Amino acid sequence: MGLFEEMQQAIIDGKAPVVKELTEKALSQGVKPGDIFPQVIIPAMNEVGRRMRDCEFFIPEVLIAARASRAATDILRPLLVGDDVARPAGTVVCCTIKGDLHDIGKNIVAMMLESSGFRIVDLGVDASPEKIVAAVREHRANLIAMSALLTTTMVNMKAAIEALDAAGLRGQVRVMVGGAPVTESWARLIGADGYGKDAPAAVELARSLIAA
Amino acid sequence: MPQERTYRILIRPTGTELHAPAGTALRDLLFEQGVEFPCGGQGRCRGCRVRVEEGTAPVNDAQRERLTEEELKNGWRLACQCSLVDDLVVELRQWDAAILADESPFAFEPRPGLGVAVDVGTTTLVAQLLDLATGRVMAVRTALNAQARHGADVMSRVEYACSEGKLLALTQLIRSQVAALIDQLLFSSKAKGDEIRDVALVGNTVMHHLFCGLDVEPLSHYPFEPRDAGLQKFSAIDLGWNLSPRATIRFLPCLGGFVGSDVLAGVLATRLSESEELGALVDLGTNGEIVVGNSARLLCASTAAGPAFEGARISMGMRAATGAISQVTIENQRLACHVLGNTAPQGLCGSGLVDAVAAGLDLEVIETSGRFADARKEWPLAPPVFLTQGDIRELQLAKGALAAGFRILLARLGASLDDVKKLYLAGAFGNYISRSSAQRIGLIALPIDQVSPAGNTALLGAKLALFPPAGEDGSYARLRQKIEHVPLNADPQFQEMYVEGLAFPQHAHVPI
Repeated sequence: MGLFEEMQQAIIDGKAPVVKELTEKALSQGVKPGDIFPQVIIPAMNEVGRRMRDCEFFIPEVLIAARASRAATDILRPLLVGDDVARPAGTVVCCTIKGDLHDIGKNIVAMMLESSGFRIVDLGVDASPEKIVAAVREHRANLIAMSALLTTTMVNMKAAIEALDAAGLRGQVRVMVGGAPVTESWARLIGADGYGKDAPAAVELARSLIAA
Repeated sequence: MPQERTYRILIRPTGTELHAPAGTALRDLLFEQGVEFPCGGQGRCRGCRVRVEEGTAPVNDAQRERLTEEELKNGWRLACQCSLVDDLVVELRQWDAAILADESPFAFEPRPGLGVAVDVGTTTLVAQLLDLATGRVMAVRTALNAQARHGADVMSRVEYACSEGKLLALTQLIRSQVAALIDQLLFSSKAKGDEIRDVALVGNTVMHHLFCGLDVEPLSHYPFEPRDAGLQKFSAIDLGWNLSPRATIRFLPCLGGFVGSDVLAGVLATRLSESEELGALVDLGTNGEIVVGNSARLLCASTAAGPAFEGARISMGMRAATGAISQVTIENQRLACHVLGNTAPQGLCGSGLVDAVAAGLDLEVIETSGRFADARKEWPLAPPVFLTQGDIRELQLAKGALAAGFRILLARLGASLDDVKKLYLAGAFGNYISRSSAQRIGLIALPIDQVSPAGNTALLGAKLALFPPAGEDGSYARLRQKIEHVPLNADPQFQEMYVEGLAFPQHAHVPI
């Protein structure tokens, strides 16, 4: 097994110390930090996403794998400042919507997006429309990923989109929505740009929205 | 004038035949037959699916979103999305379960007259008529909560109540349904309404608010604080009930958040607050409720355990009724399934699900991570019933939430699991679940001999409230002072403990 394959496997298996050790080993052997992202971390997290979708991986395995990938990105980020490869694929404001505190799904989406090269601004839970508007403005975000787990709170997604409209920001930011009660038709109804049914779908959606 | 066209609906396998005018919602017809609508009939879940064997039931977008092409081709429909345009033969997948009524003996101070204890459950109502002089139960009546057509779980009920004018409708619905139950109790025991002195009602916070006509909007979002959780007293005139104007009708107070007087009643029934030893009460349902404590202090919490324990969101899940696999054991390294009603297996209910996963762990078909060991997607239990990878995940979510809630309450009390001397399992599921399977999957972490099924503790507690100690008006102020509600979703440790609690234990816990 080559070094890159070994690193990928360590991420998939969620072995953070091994990932850290192998990343350092790779760098000492002269591997370019900019190569590790596209050749190790992104394919490894794609595989994690596939296993999650196929029900092979569940929340704990996904969280552990995402943490392991962070062991590599923590080392790589400082080395990549100013490097073209390090330019994030986009800046995503992530949150659960006002009134909603269920954030496990949102955290998984945030971690998967991060290891796919996006910069994450995590507003945590119970984010008001005002807070979302302020974060989009401050961080010049390209994307918003918001989640709701209750039918009673998902109406607040609409309020957030209206607030973005009112603030004149709707033109510069794409909105993606997710969470158990959320559907494709709900996303259309409230004027969101897309719906991700799970974390891997959210990553694909983010990529396509940025490319569009 | 042309006569309105009427269609015939034959329901299988009960053989019930109904006739209804064109355009009648299938939901209204089937609700009467005990079919439930988990999402409130909004086409957001698959809970009410039925198979149309003969006749035409048009497919709409909501059904295309929730059902696969194959399912649609085989006649599967969401009952909530269909109305009558043809004669139909419909096969139901949901069944009415026997509702647990309590028959435990209890201590009481005799008084003249009759009393009624009512457990206002989200799904089911149970009412008992008692002779207050002897404590004898004179009659029992049960019914499905008529509000259930507007959502199976408390959150969808709250959502419905938040729309214009619907709160009043739900309040009237439940009040008249309880009145009808009381009428039936009186009729069957040949008693008269003016003999009733006292009616004690218990239920979770949402049921409390909906019965009392209180605004549920604050329960629809964080921080989920009830508007008025206190004791509510009514006269027969207030409610329009045909009882003596002197009769006292009380809905007992809530404990905080979603934890209502059903749990307060549970504490009364199990006497958790009277023991110096640490004890716990767990009610396994869509909302899992937990109480831990002793005579000094009690903590309570509710966790959104998910509906897995009730067989919902399980691919072949159903309620504990005819055709449900209710027990799974291993005999000579092979699975043995027990089917309720001795018919062909049709699905899997909550207790069967817990058993099946426990057996899977013992046979090493399922790994402790919850994954099938050989990367299979499903595991046949008894044809045509099988367990899928997704089913195991649903169970993990439910038990992870409960385990995390339990651990957080223990940590807040500064206690460990070893300090808990007694665990009461309340509700129907607590009666049917195999304790050793519950232990195998890590739902219960106590030795089996310390775990006891406690039956319908809400109803037993409501009966006790008909015989209150001197000076007690039903507000249970002193007891409630001892019980503290812990909002789990605000606890920073909850998520971590939840994720930790998802995996299954490595080995079976060996009872002492």
